[in-house]
Amino acid sequence: MKTAWKYALAALALALALAPVYWLVTISIKKELDQFAYPPLWWNFAPTLEHYRDAFGARSFGRFLANSALVAAGSTLAALLLGVPAAYGLARFRWERLSFWILSTRMLPPIVTIVPLFLMLREARLLNSLLGLGLLYTAFNLPFVIWMMRGFFDEVPVELEEAARLDGDSRLGALVRVVLPIVRPGLAATAVFCAIVAWNEFLFALILTQTEAAATLPVGIASRVTQYEIKWGAMSAAGVVAMAPVLAFAAAAQKYLVRGLSLGAVKG
Amino acid sequence: MTERLRLPAGILWIAPATALLVALSVYPLLYSLKVSFSTEAGGFTLSHYARLFQDRLFFLAAAQTLLYTAVALVVELLLGLGLALLVDSLDTGRGFFRAGLLAPMLLPPVVAAVVWRLIYNPQFGVLNGTLRTIGIDTSRLTWTSGAGSAMFSVILVDIWEWTPFLFLLLSAGLQALPQEPFEAARMDGASAWRIFRDVTLPLLKPTLLLAVLLRAMDLVRIFDQIFILTQGGPGFATETVSLYIYRTAFRFFNFGYAAVMSIAGLVLTTLFARALLRLLRTR
Repeated sequence: MKTAWKYALAALALALALAPVYWLVTISIKKELDQFAYPPLWWNFAPTLEHYRDAFGARSFGRFLANSALVAAGSTLAALLLGVPAAYGLARFRWERLSFWILSTRMLPPIVTIVPLFLMLREARLLNSLLGLGLLYTAFNLPFVIWMMRGFFDEVPVELEEAARLDGDSRLGALVRVVLPIVRPGLAATAVFCAIVAWNEFLFALILTQTEAAATLPVGIASRVTQYEIKWGAMSAAGVVAMAPVLAFAAAAQKYLVRGLSLGAVKG
Repeated sequence: MTERLRLPAGILWIAPATALLVALSVYPLLYSLKVSFSTEAGGFTLSHYARLFQDRLFFLAAAQTLLYTAVALVVELLLGLGLALLVDSLDTGRGFFRAGLLAPMLLPPVVAAVVWRLIYNPQFGVLNGTLRTIGIDTSRLTWTSGAGSAMFSVILVDIWEWTPFLFLLLSAGLQALPQEPFEAARMDGASAWRIFRDVTLPLLKPTLLLAVLLRAMDLVRIFDQIFILTQGGPGFATETVSLYIYRTAFRFFNFGYAAVMSIAGLVLTTLFARALLRLLRTR
């Protein structure tokens, strides 16, 4: 194929991938009259920030945003606190069958466990609570943390920590002082992917957080879509706010995208 | 140090995580079994299982899920492979194209679906608007609101959103291939097509297998986009197993029957994954 044709084709694919995202952004900054104008306005419109003021003006939106941030950060931290030691243990003590089992729990479709989990959380009075949702996200992200971190730990030569232990460090001390600094970029990428999964998750949040006080951003957006009269501008603004941190974080973790997304994408 | 002394230490590292996973994945499965045999009052019953075999709608939802999975998987695989080969063959700007092409799969699925609600709207949407400006009659193009076109339309969204996933995996696979076989083939004067068929494809097979399996497992549980785009409608046109279970459990509050369907879903998914693996290995 001629080089020019190749670039044209790649550019076309790129345009198709990005046009819908671009369109969402334009709707979020167009006046209502321009949003559904015919012919469609791709660029020649007067931008406005009224929909963002509208979205942030609603008290519930700030609540959803805070809930999403809190549950994403909390569940990521918890998954790392449990998952990193487990990954280290599996890497150094070589429990292969347990490793495989842990990974396989990630393949369990969420819809299969949602009914019993709903009933369990109802009994524990953890419905409509960020704690309950965060607990599930922690369990959901655990296999991912273990799988990622185990790979990183396998790459660190055992001799390094053995030297530290000869100097009098405990195993935990050697892990914290010697091994973790070496795998820090991988650790950061793992955290980013956990946070993205929790931030994007919809099915669990939809079922387990039905009150406005506990709902996350995707649930808040979804509840607006299913109303009769949809405020497209405010909803698009909310959508832009929901996707912006994801794109920023993914860009920051770009080096680990393949490793992170290949398993990270196995989600509800 | 003996093996017997080391084992308990290993357990301490691993036990907390394993305990949480058992509590929130194995226990729920067993709980699900119990619920599937329970009446609302808590007694024993087989009626939920009996209902499954008479429920035409469940089988319809299963068939539609399979259709959705099959069509989306084939198209996404071919497009993803084509794009990976195309971008891989570019001299400059590969990183730029790779990063840009991944955007759709990173969006929160709810946001991606909202975007397409905007695009598909038959009266005001940008899709029909654009088609009209180039002179196409759009009065009958109803996209997600038409019974005949809804399934096609939700699959199209899936292709847009998840082709990047296959592109990502296959791109990485291509980059990791050894260069010698390609050089040897080129020295022998093999055509581009021959190189692709006899060198690239066989070398890429493990990656292809993994990509197809991961994507298929994700496709059979499809929920988010359809929930936002059509809620399974119009009528039953885009209902999938996940949506049907959701409706049964959380709209009609029939947890027993929902549990039966999720167990059936799990069994079917496992069988499907095994069949897929076998099929792909022999090819």
